[in-house]
Amino acid sequence: MTDEGDVQEDGATQRLRYAYFPGCSLEASAREYDMATREVFNALDVELVDIDWNCCGATAASSTDHLLGLALPARNLALAEKEGLDITSPCPECYMKTWMAGDAARSSPDTGRKIREALGAAGLEYKGGIAVKHILEILARDVGPEAIREKVKTPLHGLKAAPYYGCLIVRPPRDDPFDSPEDPGTLEEVIRLTGARPIRFQSRLRCCGGTQLLPNEELFMKMTYAILKDARDSGADFVVTACPLCHMALDAKQKAIAAAYQDDMEMPVLYLTQLLGLALGIEPRKLGLDKNLVSTKNLIKSLKAQ
Amino acid sequence: MPAASDVSYQPVRLRECEADFVTQVEEHGGRDAHLCYQCGSCSGGCPVVFMMDHTPRKLLRMINLGMKDQVLASGTIWVCASCFTCTTRCPRGIDIAKVMTACRELAQKEGREIDNPRSPAFYQSFVEIVENYGRLFEPMLMAKIAMRTRDGPIDAARELVKDAPLGLEMARRGKLSLLPHRTKDLEQVRKIVRKVREMEVRK
Ligand code: SF4
Ligand code: SF4
Repeated sequence: MTDEGDVQEDGATQRLRYAYFPGCSLEASAREYDMATREVFNALDVELVDIDWNCCGATAASSTDHLLGLALPARNLALAEKEGLDITSPCPECYMKTWMAGDAARSSPDTGRKIREALGAAGLEYKGGIAVKHILEILARDVGPEAIREKVKTPLHGLKAAPYYGCLIVRPPRDDPFDSPEDPGTLEEVIRLTGARPIRFQSRLRCCGGTQLLPNEELFMKMTYAILKDARDSGADFVVTACPLCHMALDAKQKAIAAAYQDDMEMPVLYLTQLLGLALGIEPRKLGLDKNLVSTKNLIKSLKAQ
Repeated sequence: MPAASDVSYQPVRLRECEADFVTQVEEHGGRDAHLCYQCGSCSGGCPVVFMMDHTPRKLLRMINLGMKDQVLASGTIWVCASCFTCTTRCPRGIDIAKVMTACRELAQKEGREIDNPRSPAFYQSFVEIVENYGRLFEPMLMAKIAMRTRDGPIDAARELVKDAPLGLEMARRGKLSLLPHRTKDLEQVRKIVRKVREMEVRK
């Protein structure tokens, strides 16, 4: 079903198209991530097709009912399949939960039957033929480095980025992973394409504790502070993330965390597509860079000064 | 932190154990929990092990011994941050992160006493909102958790006021809507939720 730049008979490449599942955060606290992702994909000539999606249920649904945690994202799979498209989400939680639902529907006969029964009650079906991709995979693999390099207008030379994967883009391991779960490299690859330099960052795969933000704030603060501190100590100008929950932790909560640890840190945290958008020459406002809580003004200024 | 009451220092009473507990855990998504050979890779990589009363490795042993009461009463299952490091590293292919999820589900369904009541308050509030709108509405989530965990509305309001400055910052940047977003075909989502509940009862 994938049409990853399939070469047609006349030699022209077919336009990449995906069903787009932004997820709840991208409609609210992570609006800038949605703005930047749509802008960047548009600039790269990749079509994101909106569907009438629902929440994936995140950790909450699966922690109250195993089947509910699979049936909720399965509805989105059914909608995408109806359009004949693979599905993508910028949110690692949405992506991972959707992938899990697809995997269970395909490879576990008993759970698969239950998922189909639940979908059937809503007049939907999922045959199991589509791929679930995070946008990092689409950028690094489907669009690919050549096509991106061609479109970079303002390389971000001189900037040092801490590449922060967090958990769920590469974990748990998939049957057919696009990157290594223990030693990935695609985020660094994309950062390099922008002209910025990915620094060596020990904490790049360490959990930010975002799922504990509401249930256990003390634990959450400890975990996020460790990551911010490591970014600063490693000499980063900013952190790059591709997760709205990590961003909430590292950016929105940074002031409160710094205060709790009597630290004066001010570490900008950019979404991957905000960074890429800057390199593609897209206006900062269109990328929502004025919506990040830790100011990105100085960063943008240093680019203009180049 | 290990205390004198730590189960490691107590004899395991087999007649108080439930031999099929590990099967229950597996049926709720904790794939292959019975295969654990106690290597400790899961505990070694767990970022929150310092806050756990039982390490993931030990919890797996307890599950396999059928120590259901102790497992479902543990703080470990609520401290887990669902980071999937353990699942990634387990040489036996056990989905340990989902073992934790399964235990959270069982503890809630069986009405057990729960180590951190904020966790189930969070999960249940979240699911209620998704059932009502198809999508999450963050301000309502905060309000519902406060109502569930505080003594009465005044105390709940106090908690919400504490988070108000950040909320205002978000609102100023257009990142907080005052009305919930909805899935258009909400009835479809509700039918799925209802069906799942029905299947659960039938089991
Ligand atoms: S890593 Fe796997 S086999 Fe090793 S102790 Fe943990 S659950 Fe058991
Ligand atoms: S998923 Fe939970 S138990 Fe496993 S390593 Fe992460 S926090 Fe620890």
